[in-house]
Order: sequence, then C-alpha cells, then structure tokens
Amino acid sequence: MEILVYGTINSVSLALMGLGFAMVYGISRVPNFAHGALYIICGFVTWTLFQIVGLSYFVAIILSLCVNGILGMSMYRFVLIRVRGMSISEIIASYAIGLVILEGLRFGGFRGMTYTLPVFMEGSLMIGGVPVDYHRVVMTIIGVALVAGLWVFTHYTRIGLALQGMAQDERAAMMLGIDSDFMAMVAMGFGAVLAGVAAILILPLGNIVVESGYHVLIMSIAVCIVGGLGSWMGAFFAAFIIGYAQILTVVYIGSHFQMVVAILAIILTLILKPSGLFGQQKELEERV
Amino acid sequence: MLEAKDLMVFYENMLALNNISIKCDDNQIVGVFGANSAGKSTLMYALSGIMLDIQKKEDMAGGERITLTGDVLLQNRSIMDMKPSLRAKAGIILCPERRRLFKESSVLENLRIGGYLATRAEAKQTMEYVMEVFPALIKLKKRLGGFLSGGEQQMVAIGRALMAQPKILLLDEPLLGLSPFMQSTLIRGIKVIQEERNISVIISEQYARPVFPIVDYAYILENGAAVMEGTREELMDNPDVKAAYFGVS
Repeated sequence: MEILVYGTINSVSLALMGLGFAMVYGISRVPNFAHGALYIICGFVTWTLFQIVGLSYFVAIILSLCVNGILGMSMYRFVLIRVRGMSISEIIASYAIGLVILEGLRFGGFRGMTYTLPVFMEGSLMIGGVPVDYHRVVMTIIGVALVAGLWVFTHYTRIGLALQGMAQDERAAMMLGIDSDFMAMVAMGFGAVLAGVAAILILPLGNIVVESGYHVLIMSIAVCIVGGLGSWMGAFFAAFIIGYAQILTVVYIGSHFQMVVAILAIILTLILKPSGLFGQQKELEERV
Repeated sequence: MLEAKDLMVFYENMLALNNISIKCDDNQIVGVFGANSAGKSTLMYALSGIMLDIQKKEDMAGGERITLTGDVLLQNRSIMDMKPSLRAKAGIILCPERRRLFKESSVLENLRIGGYLATRAEAKQTMEYVMEVFPALIKLKKRLGGFLSGGEQQMVAIGRALMAQPKILLLDEPLLGLSPFMQSTLIRGIKVIQEERNISVIISEQYARPVFPIVDYAYILENGAAVMEGTREELMDNPDVKAAYFGVS
C-alpha cells in the first residue's frame, strides 16, 4: 500500500518535472536544457516575493509564474532563435543559459538550507493506512488535472491545435499561416510556466537548493526519453514507470540507488527501443 | 492577382528556376506542367514563401546557399520579403506536394488546425463546405491522418487549405499517385471549389491530361524555364504539347 501511494505521488511529481521539457521539445524540437534552471529560479522568485517583498503567497506564486513565462519566451526570442534547427548548438546554448542561472543564483548567495516555501495545507490524512500529508495530495490532484488540462488545450483550442500542427510538420503548419517562431516562443513560455508550476508544487516538500536544478533536468530528460521524445502523453506514462521503479528501489534496495533508476531507464530505453515507448511518429515513418 | 516576374532560384550554382514570369488573375485556374525536376515545386515554394524558410534553415545549418532574384507580386504589391505565415494571411495558401497531413491528428483536427487563420464563424462554415464538396470525409472524421488512403489524404489536404480562407490556392501535384477515378473526383472538386468560393487556383502537375479540362491558362516548364504558355485552346492545338504532355502523336 505504501508503495502504491508513494509510487503514485512520486510519479506525478516526475511527470510535473518532465511535462514542460516534453512540451517544448515536442513543439519546437528545442531540447531545453535550461529546464532545471527555470524550475529553480521560479522557486527562488516565489521565495523572494513572499519572504522579502512580503506579498501574499498566492500573489507571489502567480507573479513568479508570469516571470518564468516571460523568461522562457525571451530565452527563445533572443538566444535560441539564432541557433534553431542545429540541435547541438541548441543544447549548448540552452545548457549555458541554465548554467548561468543556476551558478548565478549560487554566486548571488542563494545557497545553504534556509530557503523553504510553505506548504499549501498543513496536516495529513490516511489513505489505506498510509499517512499522507495534504500537500502531497493536492500536488497529485493538480498534477493530474494539469495533464488533463493540457490534453484539452492541445485538442480543442486554436493555439493548442496550432502547436500540435507545428509539432508534427512545421513547414506544413507554416503553409497554413502558423508563424513557427511565434509558436515556438509560446511553447517555450508554456514550458517555463510548467517548470514553475512543478517547482511550486514540489519545492515546499523540501528546501530550495541550486543543485536540485540539475537533478530536475536529468529526471525530465529521463522521463522524456523513456516516453519517446516529443510525446507528452508518453512522458506522462514514463513518469509512472520510473516513479514506481524508484519507490520500489527505495523500499527493496536502498534510497541511494534512486538516481540510478532514472539513468538506467535512459540507457535501457536507448538500447531496446530508441524511439521510446510512445515515439509513434518515428515508427509510423518506418512503416511507410 | 498573383504574379511572378523574372523569378530565378539558385541552389548553390544550380539553376532551379530560370527567369520565370507567370501570372494568375482573379477567379482563374492556372496550370503549371512539367516533368520531374522541371521546377514546379520550387516555383510553388517561391510563391508561398516557404523558400525563404528553406533558405534561412540552410543558411543557419551551413548547407546549400539558395539565392532568389526577381519579384513576386500580390495585387501588384511586392511580397518577395514576406514571411510564409504573412503570405498565408494575405491569402496565399499552399497545399504541398505529398500532402503533408498531420499524421497523428484526426481528419477533424487536421481541418481545425487549418482553420488557424479563420474566425470561428468562417471555420464552422468552411468545415461544412468541405464536407459538402468531399462527402467521403464525413465518415472519416475521427480517423488519423496517417491511416488514410492517398485520395482521402488529398481531400483532407485541400480541405485543410480551404479552412485557411485562401484567396489563391496553390496545389502542388494534387493527383500524384492517385487512381484515375480519384483523379477525376478531385479535379471536379477543385473546379467546384474554385467557382463557388471565387478563388484563384494554381495547380501543378506532371501529366497534363486530367487537369487540362479545367485550366484557363497554362505554362509548361522544362528544366526550370517556362518553354511554352497559352490558353487551354492554344496549347491543345500545339502539336509539340500534344506529343509531350498528352501522349498523342
């Protein structure tokens, strides 16, 4: 029972981490290696607005999500647009931005164990005999709702459909009047906001430390590779596989092997099925 | 309405389009015929602006150097430097070679994505119109684009282009690889669409015979140059054209 409950929670938090990365890659084919940095900076911005400026928690969250969105969009507009289409340069450029943000934060004095965000709700409840605090429950619900919301967004709204079109065939979308640079910028903004949402939901469970930016990046890449790059539904399912695998490892082997699971999942996927679990696009091409 | 003047396109030093001047007036169907590598697709890309995107991508990746000279005019205004998305907004919609449907989206979604530039009312009206012109699509609404036959895909592709509210529709080899029956169905559909929506159509094809009955004016390309042009009647009577493009000697 413990495994089931905490496995689900862990999976949802992994899905939250990976969604933004999957979305940006799926639409603009830009592997956003600054994803972890965007996650952390959202935590610190919220912390600053809440603790230093003294805004209410809710307002601080909304503001910092906006900041994150703008940050993501300007990252594309001013830097990545210049290297678009060259995957190695995209990785180097976005990783460099990530490094600047993370190490800049460290340099600016954001280190140590003193930065925490409050949880949404104190207290806990019992699920099947396992104590779970309210915050984790809220996180799981919001996480699942977010995935559902994203699905509705990409299938029923004008912008969402345009993003989907671009993800599948950029040039065909262009012929229909969809501006690919604008859409990639929107996708980048969305990705950054999703990273921010993940941060705000997950960070209150621990301290905000710069190092976890790298951790988040690795986890989101793992989720995306296992799920099939570019497929965010795949990423969601992969999050569950890795999430449960991690919890099982913690219970039966030892908690310090947790990270190995993610890396192992990447390696195994690349050996056995390089297109990932849901990399349908490639498979379809192979069949044709 | 849409006009190309002395259009030249080079891939590195290879001349893909050589001094092409073509013109399509309001409510006209213009045919562009030519064999493989005659420059039909290059012409379509140059008209729709996709060439600029290809040029930019090649340039960034350090690939082929693509040079465009000449001019493309829409209603006597030069659109040579206009991005593809803006040209689409101005009413030039390309329905590309090999259709390029969104394979993982359903037929309905393909059409909806096509309606990006349309208002809600326009999209709804055009959607109904597409189903009316191509009733075969009604029962395929939920099918994924990748699992349609070639003819069905082409219907969706044309429908998708119509959803973008074109003033001038560019069709690049719409009949490629289709059965004669499907070809005539599509050609009839295209004619109906042109008349009922009051749009202009430029249609490129390798083989002239199926398309010829509906064109008002046609150009024949060879190795990137327009070697012949004329109204349908003029070309019909030309013995060289007959031999080369109708298979009659």
